Amino acid sequence: MAAEEIPHVPDAASAVPEGAHAGTVTAEQSGGGGLPQFEFQYWGGQIVWLLLIFIVLYTLMSRVFIPRLRRVQDTRAQTIASAVAEARRVQDEADAQAAAARAEIDQARTRARSVAAEAKVKANAEFAARQAEADARIAEEVAAAETRIRGLRDTAMASVDDIAVETAGAMVQRLTGITVSAADLRAAIKGAA
Amino acid sequence: MASPMEQFKIHQGLQLPTVPLPGGLAVDLSLNNSIMAMLIAAGLVIAFFSVATSRAAVVPGRVQLMAEGVFSYIDDMAAGIIGPESRKFLPYVLSMFLFVLSMNMLGLFLAFTATAQLAVTATLALMTFLIVLIVGFARNGANMYKLFVPAGIPWYMLLLVTPIEIISFFLRPVTLALRLFGNMLGGHVALKVFAGFVFSLASLGAAGIVGAVLPLVGVVALTSLEFLVAFLQAFVFAVLTCVYLNDVVNLGHHH
Repeated sequence: MAAEEIPHVPDAASAVPEGAHAGTVTAEQSGGGGLPQFEFQYWGGQIVWLLLIFIVLYTLMSRVFIPRLRRVQDTRAQTIASAVAEARRVQDEADAQAAAARAEIDQARTRARSVAAEAKVKANAEFAARQAEADARIAEEVAAAETRIRGLRDTAMASVDDIAVETAGAMVQRLTGITVSAADLRAAIKGAA
Repeated sequence: MASPMEQFKIHQGLQLPTVPLPGGLAVDLSLNNSIMAMLIAAGLVIAFFSVATSRAAVVPGRVQLMAEGVFSYIDDMAAGIIGPESRKFLPYVLSMFLFVLSMNMLGLFLAFTATAQLAVTATLALMTFLIVLIVGFARNGANMYKLFVPAGIPWYMLLLVTPIEIISFFLRPVTLALRLFGNMLGGHVALKVFAGFVFSLASLGAAGIVGAVLPLVGVVALTSLEFLVAFLQAFVFAVLTCVYLNDVVNLGHHH
């Protein structure tokens, strides 16, 4: 946008919309290979409009669109973070509850085990006591029976002498016809025994 | 038939007054096809983002998802290059990317490509260059010389490196403008030339019509390539804007 081109701008704009232009541009175009981009009389308008458009775009971006997008992304990040934190909290709670339940179960098991052991001990003691009682009773009965048997045997043994005296008396009398007194017989049996 | 350059011609439209600028300059504000292309391009971007962000929800709809995708893409790119301070410059980078992308894409749908006008690309490049300079001096002041004097280089190397750095720095707006301009210009010229082959061959008769299939396939292939170029050049422009901003934002300490 050199200053020298400015005079061309109004007439180029108003008089000839395209094709031949005044001054340097015409020379370039008639030369053939000139690029349309080097028609400098259009540069000023393009540059000013570009700056205006870009300023509007930039302002909207920085004031409206980017803050909106940042806000929604921050909100999303917060939402996700709080949801994750909540999930972690719930998970921790569940873990704690599971641990508590496990501890309770362990405690119950220990208690059950001790109760069982206690019961066993008690049962054993009772069993032992009862057995001892039974043993004592049996021993008593056995002792009584033995006493009775011994009594019976003694009685029987006493009777054997009498039987022997009687038998011997009877045998002597039958054989010899002599009646021997019981006291003699008894003394004789004693001597033979 | 029209020359392949016909498409780049400016055609005056609505007549608007010529405005005098300070310094004896005067600017004709009349609308032409280049300005219309820019207006439509910016209008489409604004319309798209207005719709996409008007009812921005935590669970995005389709349009919002697209807008957020573009936004996050450029946001991540800028953050990757500039670092944590990229948020300050994102509005500029994103506006630049979307505006250039929109103009490039519009060139494939309309008859006119605003980014194939050197006036447009040069202005965009100079804007970036000036913003880099302003940001650089505002943040670093007199330390800006470090841009041309890389740290940890022996003095005799600096004699060689410093002039190269200075030249490359001041060539940045030129390369930035010419890269976009050249890509758009070349692509659209190639499209027009191939399309011209199709037309001229087809007008030769039956054999010509058969022969026209080859350049037709070429046009289709080139058109798809041009869509890639349209995106890529807008992205390159945005990336380089970030790279140049990074040079002055993080001057002297590379993150």
